[in-house]
Amino acid sequence: MSDHCRIYESMLWLYPRDFRREYRSDLVQNFNDLLVDHGIRSAWARTSIDLIVTVPRYRLEDIMSEQKSAVTINIAIAVLVAGAMLAMATGFYPLTPVLLIAAIVLAFVQRGALARAIRTPDNNRRRNRLVTAAVLAVICIIAWFSFLNAVGDDEISTASLLIHNAIGVPAMIGAVVYLIVGLLTPRVPRTTQNA
Amino acid sequence: MTKSDPVSFLPLPQAQFHVLVALSGGEMHGYAIMQAVEESSDGIVRMGPATLYGTLKRLVDFGLAEELDGGLSPEDDQRRRYYRLTGLGEQVCTAESVRLSRLVRRTRSNLRPRLA
Repeated sequence: MSDHCRIYESMLWLYPRDFRREYRSDLVQNFNDLLVDHGIRSAWARTSIDLIVTVPRYRLEDIMSEQKSAVTINIAIAVLVAGAMLAMATGFYPLTPVLLIAAIVLAFVQRGALARAIRTPDNNRRRNRLVTAAVLAVICIIAWFSFLNAVGDDEISTASLLIHNAIGVPAMIGAVVYLIVGLLTPRVPRTTQNA
Repeated sequence: MTKSDPVSFLPLPQAQFHVLVALSGGEMHGYAIMQAVEESSDGIVRMGPATLYGTLKRLVDFGLAEELDGGLSPEDDQRRRYYRLTGLGEQVCTAESVRLSRLVRRTRSNLRPRLA
């Protein structure tokens, strides 16, 4: 495989995982054919434009797919709630209801997608959600311990407070959301697994 | 979800129609499709690898094309993935051709004085 093909292959990491997994060897083969038939400059010219056009498009399509959009909305809700709490803590009171209303609207939008995600029995998803909840819980605990430490030492600044809240609060909300969703995701029945 | 009414796919995006037209000539692998599209459009449409495979993925998902592992005949390169039109793909390709030919006729009749 030529260096150009290796460079192109490494750039395929920009594409969504499913697309990459399905078409990696075909894309590299195709690029190699372009190199052989049209030369280095022409192959790269065509492929560069292709990358610029298709990477954002395929990424966006991937994010907007049912499963991914549910995760995106979950994160958005967590960030909005954290923002609302932060606004209240730092005295930006008018911003609090705005952010909370936005979170509530998103939560209603989410209900359909979340319900569909929870309804489908999937052992891998259940495990992934619970692992994510555990990781977020650890991040939250570290953030709060660090915060309490800073408060104890009387060295806390506004920036430090903001950073602690920006990490700890979303991690706490995320941990709770993922824990609930993970516990609600049904396991695949044993008989189906064996079949 | 696959639709079964050919008209419900119209109008086809340009890239999808070009690939269907290329495949109407018989089974092909990705690079051959790319070359066929370039040739049939007099070099105007030059697809990149990801555009081509994104389009093929969509056509397969819609049930308009199907994959063949390694081609049908011994001359085919067995390492490559070959594609061919499905019955629905042929119908959609025909329906889009009819739609476009009507459009061309209308354009010609409207612009006849200027074309003459």
